[in-house]
Amino acid sequence: MTKCSNPLALIAEITHRCPLHCVYCSNPLELTSRQEELATADWLRVFREAAALGVLHLHLTGGEPLARPDLADMIAGARQSRLYTNLITSGIGLSHERLAQLVESGLDHIQLSFQDASEDPANWIAGARAHAHKLELAGWIRSHSIAFTTNLVVHRQNIEHLEEMIAALEALHPDRMEIAHAQYYGWALQNRSALLPTRAQLGRAVAVVAEAEERLRGKVRIDMVVSDYHARFPKACMGGWGRQLLLIDPAGRALPCHAAGVIPGMRFDNVRKATLDWIWQNSEAFQKFRGEDWMPEPCRSCDRRKEDFGGCRCQAFLLTGDASATDPVCELAPLHHIVEDAVREDATPGSTPEPREAPFHVLQEKMAGFWSYRTDPK
Amino acid sequence: MAELLETSIPKFAAGCRWGGTVEAPVVLFPEGAIRVEGTGRIILELCDGHFSLAEIVQKLETQFRLAPKGKIRADVQTFLEQLHGKRIIDY
Repeated sequence: MTKCSNPLALIAEITHRCPLHCVYCSNPLELTSRQEELATADWLRVFREAAALGVLHLHLTGGEPLARPDLADMIAGARQSRLYTNLITSGIGLSHERLAQLVESGLDHIQLSFQDASEDPANWIAGARAHAHKLELAGWIRSHSIAFTTNLVVHRQNIEHLEEMIAALEALHPDRMEIAHAQYYGWALQNRSALLPTRAQLGRAVAVVAEAEERLRGKVRIDMVVSDYHARFPKACMGGWGRQLLLIDPAGRALPCHAAGVIPGMRFDNVRKATLDWIWQNSEAFQKFRGEDWMPEPCRSCDRRKEDFGGCRCQAFLLTGDASATDPVCELAPLHHIVEDAVREDATPGSTPEPREAPFHVLQEKMAGFWSYRTDPK
Repeated sequence: MAELLETSIPKFAAGCRWGGTVEAPVVLFPEGAIRVEGTGRIILELCDGHFSLAEIVQKLETQFRLAPKGKIRADVQTFLEQLHGKRIIDY
C-alpha cells in the first residue's frame, strides 16, 4: 500500500440538479437523481470527518448547490467543523435574503459562474435565462464581507470575447477571477468539436489574461487554468491521484476526481458505509493510481512524474481506452497522436457561428443540434 | 497596486482568515492556505485592523532590538506587499 499524505480539500457535489444546462459541464453524463442524494446529517458527519483528516477547504458544488434547501445548515455545520467554505454556484435560486442567511451561517467564499460577456450568447451557452440575474446578484454579494470570485469558462464560442468578458467582470468588483478553459470530460467532451479553441486563439487568450493580470495586480487576483490539449505536458490532475483532494458525489460515493466514474471496473466506497478516514487510506479507488507503481514507461523513468504524476487517469481512459496509459496529452506519450488529431479535427474556427447577433430564443432555434445541452437528473 | 503608506492599516481581505490549530495556524483564503511561523505570524497577528504600518514596525523593532536599522521596515513592507498582490491583505 502506498503511504499517503492527508487531503487538503473536499469537493462536495451535494446535488446534480441544476437549472442551467451548460454545454461544458464537468458532471458525469450519468447524473444522480434526487432520491439518491445524501441527507443533511450524512453531509455534516462527512464534514467533521474531513476536518479531522486535515482537510482545510470545502467546496460546495453540484449541479447547483442552491437546489438543496438545507444548504445553510450544511454551511453552518462545515464552519463548526472549522472548514473554509466555498460555494460554487450559478446564483440561480439565490435571493437577497437567502444570500444573507448563507453568509450568516459562515460562508467564506462564493464563486459565481459566467458564460459570456453579454446576455444572449451567455444564455445560449447556459441553455437558460440566467445572465441578468447573475449581474444583479454580484452587487448583493459585494455588500457582504466574503470573498467573491467570478468564474468564466472559456472555449471556442466565447474565447474571442475574452477581453470584453474580463472588462465586464471587473465592473462587478470581484476579489478574484478564475478564467478556466473548458476541460474535456463529461458534457464538454461530447461537445468538444464546438468548444476546442485553436492554438492561435489560445495564444491570444493567454496574452489577454497576462495583460489583465498586470493591470489588476493588488485589485483582482486572476487564476487561469488552460485546457492541456494544446500543452506539451499534461496537467497535475487533482494534484495527483489520492494525494490532496477527494470528491463526494450526491449519492455519497467517494471519488479521487470528478470524472473517475468513467473508468471501468472502479469500485467506489460510500460515506454511508465507511468513514472518510478509512476511505482515504484504504479504498480501492484511492489506492488504484496513488504513487508510482501503476506507471507505464515513459512515465516511470521520467523526471516530470514528480510534477504531473503521470497526468490525468480519466483523460487517459477517455482518449485511449486504457486508464493506465500515459496521458496522451503528453508529447512523450506513445498515443500522443490522438490529441494531435483531436486538435486538428475539432479546433476548426470555420464552424464558429456569430452568436452575439441574435436573441437567445432565435439562437436556440437556429443553432438546434449544434451541441448537446447538459440534461437534468430524473 | 495600492501604495503601502506609514499610515496604511493592513488587514485581512474579505474571505481571508485564520484557520488550522493553535499549534499550527494557517491563513485561509480562496483556493489556498499558507502556514505562517515566526515573524510572519507575528506580523499577521498585528494585521487585525487596529495598527498602522508604522505602529506594526515599531512593535517589531521593540521586540527585535538587534535587527539592523531599517531592515524590519523593509521586510514588513515586502511581506505585506506580497500578500496584497495575492489579495490576502488589504490596506
